[in-house]
Formats: sequence, structure tokens, C-alpha cells
Amino acid sequence: MTFLIAFRSLLQHKRRTFVLGAAVAFVTVVMLTLLGIAEGMNRTLIESSTTLMSGHVNVAGFYKVTAGQAAPVVTHYKQVVEVIRQAVPELKYIAQRGRGWAKITSDGGTNKMFGLTGIDVKNEKGLAAVLKIKEGKLEDLAKPGSIMLFEDQARDLEVKVGDALTIQAPTPRGVNNTLDVTVVAIANNMGMMSQFSSFINEASLRQLYQLNDETTGALMIYMGTTDLVQLKKVEDKLREALGKSGYQILEEDPRAFFFKFENVTREAWTGQKLDITNWRDEVNFVSWTVDLMNALAFFLAFVFLSVVGIGIMIVMWISIRERTREIGTLRAIGMQRGRVMRMFLAEGFLLGVLSTTAGALFGLVLAVVINGADVTLPQGFQFILMSDHLKVVPTVAWTLVAVVFITAVITGISLLPSFIAARLKPVTAMQHVG
Amino acid sequence: MPNSIVSIRDVVKEYSLGKVVVPALRGVSLEVERGEFISIAGPSGSGKTTLLNLIGCVDTATRGTVEVAGKNTSALSERQLTQLRLDTLGFIFQSFNLVAVLTVFQNVELPLLLQNKLGSGERKKRVMELLTAVGIDTHAQHRPSELSGGQRQRVAIARALVTEPQIVLADEPTANLDSATGEAIIDLMKDLNQKKGITFIFSTHDHRVMKHADSVVRLADGKIIGKESADAAVQAALTSAAGRSPVGAH
Ligand SMILES: Nc1ncnc2c1ncn2[C@@H]1O[C@H](COP(=O)(O)OP(=O)(O)OP(=O)(O)O)[C@@H](O)[C@H]1O
Ligand SMILES: [Mg+2]
Repeated sequence: MTFLIAFRSLLQHKRRTFVLGAAVAFVTVVMLTLLGIAEGMNRTLIESSTTLMSGHVNVAGFYKVTAGQAAPVVTHYKQVVEVIRQAVPELKYIAQRGRGWAKITSDGGTNKMFGLTGIDVKNEKGLAAVLKIKEGKLEDLAKPGSIMLFEDQARDLEVKVGDALTIQAPTPRGVNNTLDVTVVAIANNMGMMSQFSSFINEASLRQLYQLNDETTGALMIYMGTTDLVQLKKVEDKLREALGKSGYQILEEDPRAFFFKFENVTREAWTGQKLDITNWRDEVNFVSWTVDLMNALAFFLAFVFLSVVGIGIMIVMWISIRERTREIGTLRAIGMQRGRVMRMFLAEGFLLGVLSTTAGALFGLVLAVVINGADVTLPQGFQFILMSDHLKVVPTVAWTLVAVVFITAVITGISLLPSFIAARLKPVTAMQHVG
Repeated sequence: MPNSIVSIRDVVKEYSLGKVVVPALRGVSLEVERGEFISIAGPSGSGKTTLLNLIGCVDTATRGTVEVAGKNTSALSERQLTQLRLDTLGFIFQSFNLVAVLTVFQNVELPLLLQNKLGSGERKKRVMELLTAVGIDTHAQHRPSELSGGQRQRVAIARALVTEPQIVLADEPTANLDSATGEAIIDLMKDLNQKKGITFIFSTHDHRVMKHADSVVRLADGKIIGKESADAAVQAALTSAAGRSPVGAH
């Protein structure tokens, strides 16, 4: 009955309820859309990171001949693979890729530092599906001495398909080696990540680092899930198993491998150390944008809710003033304070639930409209959102979070007016106008 | 006194308006017997509402004791007072005070829901019985705003009686009704008093209403100046009306 009174009282003041409800629904739409954009970014991030630069979990590492010179390699990797397969029998497959971090110079004299991933293009079906080649052919990476760049890298280096580049990198033996390569393909940018990575023929990468067949850059393990909680467990298992097998293991450091050179070369050790990471660590330098977007969603929701909340408080206050006699009557005929309080909280709660649900539905429709409208993003946004189109991916989980969060805030806001209503004296029932 | 349902002894009630203390009751003692149909009369400002509020446990005395159904109200907590009002008292208000968003049926059912003793079938039976008794059963699904003043007060009477309280309090129950309707309402209350033995205490300015009471308690300036039969009281009221012209009557 208290719920019924709450519900009917909301209906009684249709315009008031509608205005407040619309405001709450608006906040829900904003929050859900931003969360949806963040989720879109996250999906792109997962997809591109797990195809371009990482497995779900990676076993990589550094080999140092002298303390100050590190190469991003795993030596005698086949033994390592054995240990991995025993420790994590449930893995789907292991890919091995060469890795490098090098200075790349064009004939024109401009240069840039970025990551190199050595691939055997014939075994990289996933890559062909994700990359959009703008110029040249990805298959040409099968030729020795070939490299694929992203659009921005090609622009900065002022090169086209067919042009030559010189790559310079320190080998594990401690000398700088150079390699001449030809650009065979240029791919569309993939957000921020395309600043940092490029693809090179695997044999050529070995040649650059003067590696033997027993050595690779990283063992990329695909588990069939991107869920970080599960992947963390896999990482822990690997750390333990590899540690027991006598491997030296780097301390956990959730960053991309090419950010680790500085630390690794500062340390005194030499020889091989392994490094275990997950996909999120390897894209850590861009994943903050997803966190930022999520934070922005909550922050904006909070700001809007503060404004809407003040409105709700004022309106509830007015409503309690208007209903003083009704509340007094209910108290006089025997309704306890707690129940009066619950009745007004129920009003806030109902307002919250109904309008956030409506907002969630609007948000879904808006997501469909935005995705259907194929909105092309301006350059700066492409960089941050990791996609050239605005993409909103609503998820059940985030929708529930938004609905619950906003409803809780609205109910919380109605706590104070409800408390005031519950304190009204039953004598007020006897006060009458005229 | 074992048979008293309401027992008031040396009650003083003072309201403080800032620094000014307004005495509303100045030493009132009163015993009300079970099953009485009693009216509280007196000019405006004499303390009728104040006295009913004390009996109704919605206000507390400054000094003196108020016992309702054997319980000293000053010894009870807010929670216990609320429970006492729910179980022992019924209220009829001058302005009807029905919950606008509920139907007639739901308004009458509300105290039973607060008590949470009866199942829905029994509740329905009890509510419909009372609506029939007050002659408003055909309007059970209407909202109060769709009813006339007299009809609303009938609903209010049904609501006051639905928990089978020991005492029903009514502060000027007929003041917002025309005199014919007012008398019909008092007749109805009287009828329920006789059939169910419920104690009724109501205040009024109106001598046509007053004359239905078993006895009339007359208040003036916060003091009881007599408890007498209805006829004597009506006579006295008429005399005082000629001299003083009461303010605020209907
Ligand atoms: N809440 C209050 N604050 C201050 N003074 C009050 C309050 N309620 C009543 N009074 C004063 O107490 C006295 C008695 O008031 P009460 O309302 O009991 O009279 P009444 O007999 O019911 O009058 P009426 O016939 O006008 O309803 C009056 O002087 C009134 O001004
Ligand atoms: Mg009064």
C-alpha cells in the first residue's frame, strides 16, 4: 500500500514527475552512451592488440650480453614452449613472433623510433582480417626485406610503397646492426597503436638481430578468453612453472615491452630473463583512454545528477509541504515513522527505476541510430577512440550498472526529504484551512 | 476508576509561541466511561481541539496525566503511542483527511494493512461491511475527489471504525457539512455507538449536533465548566450565543 500511495502520488503530479523523470532519463542516456563508446574502444583495443601485438598472455623477455644492452628475445624458446604447454594444457594455440624496437630512417633522411613485429605472413590469417591495407599488398611481406607501415608512419617518414628504409638496432651481441628494407604495404591507422608498431618479414628481423632458429621475440598464448581475471591466473601458473624450471623471471610490470628497455638496461644482470604479460599490459599505453572514457561517463553522470538531484530535492520538499496534512493523517491513524519514510523513499526509488529504465531504452535506440548513421570521427578523436567511426557498444552489464547507480543516487537524494516527512507531527492532521 | 476508558487528571497544556506562553488547558480533569457518546462544547479557543489531541495521543500534556485505555500516555514512546492510536483509537477529522490517491475501499482498508493482522479476504469483508453500514458501498472504487462532503465523511467514519477501536475521536466532524448532512452523520455515529458500544468523543459548536450527545462537557478558557445533559447544554449554548456570538461556527 505504501508503494501504491507512492506510485499514485507520482502520477498525481504528472508534469512534475515527467520533468524530473526526463532529466533522470537524460542523465542515463548520457552515461550509457559514454560507457558504450568506452566499450566500443575497449573492443577495438582487445581486437587490435590481440592481433597486432599480443596474445592473450605472452611469454617474452630480454637477453643481455652486457648489462647495458638488451634485446627483446627469448632464447631456446622451444624448451620454454614445452614448459608452457605442461603448465597450461588448456591453451588454444601458441604463436611466436619476432619483436624489435628500432630506429627507422628514410632515404630522405627523416627518422622515427617504433616497434617491429616479425611475422610469417602465411600463418597470420587473423591479421589480414583486422588490417585495412590502403596501398600495396600484405602478402608481399613474405618477401625478405619487406616492411608494412601504418599511414601516419609512412607520412612522417615521407615514403610510399616501393620506397626504401634503413633499420638500425642493437643486436644481443652488443653491436648496432642495420638492415635495408622496402615498404610493401601501407595500412589504415588503427588509433594510437599504429604509432608504435609495424610488421616486418620474420626472417629479416632475425637477420637484423642476428638471431638463430632457437630464438624468438615473444610466445603469444591464445586462451580463447580476454577476461583479465582468468588470464591473471594463467600468468600466475606460468610464473610458477617457469620459475621452477629454473628460468629467471622479470618482476610484474604492466607495460608494453618497448617501454621496459630503460629499466632492463639499467639493471646489472646479464643473460636471459623471461617476462610474462597479458594483452592489456601490452596496450597499457593506450588502454588508459578507455579508463578515462569510463571515468568521464561516471563523472558527467555525477555532475548532471547533482543538478538533477537538487531539483528532485526541491520538488520533494514542495510535495511534502503540500502533503503535510496527508502525512499527519497517516501518522495520526497509526502509521509509524519508518513507514512514512519508506513511502517517500519508495517515491524516489520508483522515479529512479522508471526513468532510468526509460533512459536505458532511449540509450539503446540512440546507440542503434549512431552506429547506423556511420559518423566519421575527426582525426584527433580517431586517435583516442582507436576507430575512424563513432561506435557505441551497449552492454547488459554497463546498462545494469548505470540503472542501479542512478537509481541508488536518486533514492539516496530522497533520503533527506523522506526523513523530514517522517518527522512531521501527527497533530498536523488536525490543522485545517479555513 | 476501572470503567473509565479515558481518565484525565489535572491536565495543563501550554503552547509556547517564542517567549510567550499560551495556556490552552488550565487544570482539566475528566473521566469518560466505556460506550459513552460524549460531546465537547465551548467557544472558539476554549481548548476543545487541544483536549481531543491529548486524548488522541497526538500531543502530550505539559502537566497532569492522561490515561487512554488504561495506559498513561506520558510513559509511552513515540512508537508505542503510534501503535496505541492504530489499535485503540479511531479518528474522524473536520476536513475528512482521506488519502486523495487511494480509492474509497483502499482508504478504509489502510488501517487494517497497517495492523497487518487480517488476510486480504477478511479485510475485504470487513471493509465492505462498514461501507455498507455507512451507506457508501456503491462508491467503493471511487476516488474521494468524486464524492460529496457528506459521502467523504462517511468514508472517514468507516476508516475510523474498521479496526474496531475502543474510542473514536472526532474534532468538529460536521463543521464542513451543511446542517442536514451534519445531523445525518451524527445519527450514523450514534447508531454505531449503540450497535457496537464504541465510545465516541466529538467536539462541536453546533447545538443541533450537540443535542444528540449523551452528555456534553463544556469548556471555557481552558477549563471545564460543567458536564451536563445535552438539553441543558443546548440551553446554555443558546444563552451564551445571544450574549457573546461565537466565532468560527460552521
Ligand atoms: N499550535 C498552537 N500554538 C499556539 N497556540 C495554540 C496552538 N493550538 C492552539 N493554540 C491556542 O490554544 C487555545 C486553545 O485552542 P484550541 O484549538 O484547542 O481551541 P478550540 O476550542 O478547538 O477552538 P476552535 O473552536 O476555534 O477550534 C487557543 O488560545 C489557541 O490560540
Ligand atoms: Mg478546534
